[in-house]
Amino acid sequence: MRRPILSAVLLPLLLALACTAARANTLLQLQADHISFYYDRFLLEADGHVRVQTSDGFTASGDAFSMDLKLNRFVLAGHVTLSTKSGRASGAAISDFLDFNRIYFVPITSEPDRWTFLNDDLAHPVKGRIMPGDVFFLPQLSGTPSITAKTATVGTRTFVRFGDADTYLAGVGIPLRSYVVNFSSNQYFAQNSLSGANFDLTWNFAGNDNSLSALHVRYDDMNYGPFLSFEQHLVGQHEYAVFSINPLTKQDKFANLQLYEQLGREFQIQTFTQFYTRNLIDPEAAAQTTYITANKAFPHSYLTAYSILTNYNLLGPSAYDTANGEYVGALNHPSQLQLTWTSFNNRIFNWPLYEQTYVSYGFNHDSVGVQYVNSLPNPPGLQSFPACYLNKTGTAYTCPGLYYNILNQIAGYTVSMEPLKFGNLNSAYDNYYLNASINAQRQWYQVPHHVNTTTTTASLSRQFTRQIGTYLAYQVANTNDLYETGGYPAYVPSTAPALQGNCVPDGKPPYYTYCDYGYAAFRGASTLRTLNLGINYIPSPEFNFTLLMRKHDDFPKPFAGGQVFGSPLTNPIGQPLTLNYLGQPPYDITPDVRFKVLPHMLLDISRTYYFNFANERWSHNFIVQVLPQ
Amino acid sequence: MIGRRLLPAAAALLCLLLIAASGPIVATGQLLAYQDGYVFFTTGDGFHVSPQVVIRNASGTGAPIVPGPRVYARATFDAAGTVTELDLSQTPLPAQGDLADVLKFAVALSPPLPNPDLVPQTPAPGESAKPTEHFSGKPVVVVFTVQVPPNTPFTSTIYMTTDASGWNPNAVIMDRVDALHFRIIERLNSGTIFRYLYDRGSLQQEEVAENGMQRTPRQIVVTDSDVRAVNDTVYAWADMLAGGSQSQAPQGLPTPYNPAPFPNLPNGQPHPGGRPSPAP
Repeated sequence: MRRPILSAVLLPLLLALACTAARANTLLQLQADHISFYYDRFLLEADGHVRVQTSDGFTASGDAFSMDLKLNRFVLAGHVTLSTKSGRASGAAISDFLDFNRIYFVPITSEPDRWTFLNDDLAHPVKGRIMPGDVFFLPQLSGTPSITAKTATVGTRTFVRFGDADTYLAGVGIPLRSYVVNFSSNQYFAQNSLSGANFDLTWNFAGNDNSLSALHVRYDDMNYGPFLSFEQHLVGQHEYAVFSINPLTKQDKFANLQLYEQLGREFQIQTFTQFYTRNLIDPEAAAQTTYITANKAFPHSYLTAYSILTNYNLLGPSAYDTANGEYVGALNHPSQLQLTWTSFNNRIFNWPLYEQTYVSYGFNHDSVGVQYVNSLPNPPGLQSFPACYLNKTGTAYTCPGLYYNILNQIAGYTVSMEPLKFGNLNSAYDNYYLNASINAQRQWYQVPHHVNTTTTTASLSRQFTRQIGTYLAYQVANTNDLYETGGYPAYVPSTAPALQGNCVPDGKPPYYTYCDYGYAAFRGASTLRTLNLGINYIPSPEFNFTLLMRKHDDFPKPFAGGQVFGSPLTNPIGQPLTLNYLGQPPYDITPDVRFKVLPHMLLDISRTYYFNFANERWSHNFIVQVLPQ
Repeated sequence: MIGRRLLPAAAALLCLLLIAASGPIVATGQLLAYQDGYVFFTTGDGFHVSPQVVIRNASGTGAPIVPGPRVYARATFDAAGTVTELDLSQTPLPAQGDLADVLKFAVALSPPLPNPDLVPQTPAPGESAKPTEHFSGKPVVVVFTVQVPPNTPFTSTIYMTTDASGWNPNAVIMDRVDALHFRIIERLNSGTIFRYLYDRGSLQQEEVAENGMQRTPRQIVVTDSDVRAVNDTVYAWADMLAGGSQSQAPQGLPTPYNPAPFPNLPNGQPHPGGRPSPAP
């Protein structure tokens, strides 16, 4: 039943994209003995037997061609022959200012002359009209071009597609055959549906005003090693679709489809669908999940509907059958729908304070029946409360309270202040700024409990000189997971010998070790306090040094060794994906340096020092980011 | 009376003598074309070339250079404005003379007509003239300062994604200046139309408009100045809409609905509100 609904959501989006008409940008077909592209300056240069054909209605040949793709104008010079519907003319040079509908031509009839064609009217030149001074500007070229080719198709303001192309790595040519450089100002081209990887080399092998096809050579040291991926972009003015298969060359494959459509100025909908399979033919596993987000804007607030539809097993109950007939894979297909109303930031009276309020209502459902984990039947539903327990025969779990549907409600508000400036107000470097904000939220569940979260942040900052600035910030995050009955049981610590060295033995059989008595007192409420001191030294845009020192004072306390609190998941640049995770080392310091290595490239290097907490001094890796400017 | 008649003739004679006495005129520039008995500079001006023109490599040594587009030249004009010598180079030559001095010798069949495109527009009656925006292309230091929403995680890094870097969401890292503000200093050439958005490291974590809709890129036009300050406000992030929407995570199936606020509790710790799973 869900799939037809899903199709009903996705198909209109696909149709809208398919119906998106291509914009009428000028197309230039360029041929020459030698075509060069300079990525850092977006210059397209051609020499020797140059031939240009434009969709505006003329063909021209000449000795040399130069186009500034950002300024959207080109020059063709030397022995120029211009062919239009109304005839042919020879001359020294022609220049086309595409954005202004002006073509400037230096013909040679009995003598040289100056003609200007206005608004694509190639039959009636305005003769003798004074031309702008830089009409025939030719740039000075230096260095190795990024790409060389024999042909190029330019979709003005959007793309260049090179034919018989080569690129260069350390001066060595690498044949690409076809390569597309997309420089559209439409940010939808950058949307991607690939997951992170340590390394990605992209070959845009096809594309035009509205599409881009790319093959990715990727490397991921965590999961797959080297592999190939494919990605297809379809882009309109108010919509996009991105499809990818990743990894293409491994047993596990993820097909992702991302769709976005803006209907009018006040409504948008986007979806993300992932289909996973292990082996395309005779699959061992297959799953699907879809996220749908719709947004409706109002004059001073907006409404967001958010849904997740997941099917953990598309192969059916028998797919994971074991030898004794039990299937061990999860068969859940949970659904979630959350409707949230959010206000704008509103000023509170005439005070320097702003507030934002939001409320939300959610419905969650999963009715899937029995499945097996470790050869024992796994309880169905979304949650169990109280917790399940093993029956006396040890063959099944008993679950006193199972929830197939869960309703939830959220109410929250945020209050923030305008930056308060004090000190010497007449000086740029002798004053302070005070900032503060508080966010409080309560979430109620049909399961008898609620979660309160409060995050309070305040900071004091000062710019000492043009180059040096500092800030001192303090944040307190309170999280309270409260159950009406029961709740969090006392932590039962491990007796594993590996933990003994760092823990306090309780001295009684079975010789548990309490690694932290504070954690033994934990009943679902945490308080994480962080003091931050940051120093920025920025002498120029090309060099930057920052130092961040932090002191965490948390309850429950972190336990040295990490055996109690697992490490949170991090993104490829080492940042935790989880907010307010438990177990942070009490002190850390992170220097970060950023500097220019190439005219259009910066390098950012950082590493964190943990002051020997749990025998850890420096973080495992340097975080190195290459930043194209 | 006779003196009055002789005066213009004497003046003309004096001019001729002065021109003859000044010798050849030299000017440097970049060639646009060399064909049909004319040499054209990138100003678009064409000049007669003497049939006996001398063409040399400007360095005095090295291989001969063929005159044509992109080549730099030092041209010597005779008194009649005909090019008699061309010293050529593949790199710019030291400036010498001024092509403006020889414009009077440029050949053009049609008389010059004024170009309305080049005339500043006169304001309509009752309106004042707009300030002239001048773009010399000089580097301008632009300081971007952004205020982020209060619910931005303190551990987040704020980036700027720009059309100049192909909307790479990690291209420009910003520096925190206090609890809610980040800053970056960029050097942009005047005349640049700079489009940008703020994000937290991926396009799924991009800023959205105050009404929750995906926003069109911000845009500034860099005008001639020494320093420019740009102050922006981010109202919300796409993955952090109020109410706790989850971000779209490629290559990761979401777990069934699980309101556990402490995701990294120890393995042995039974969670009272977690997904129904058997005790260990």
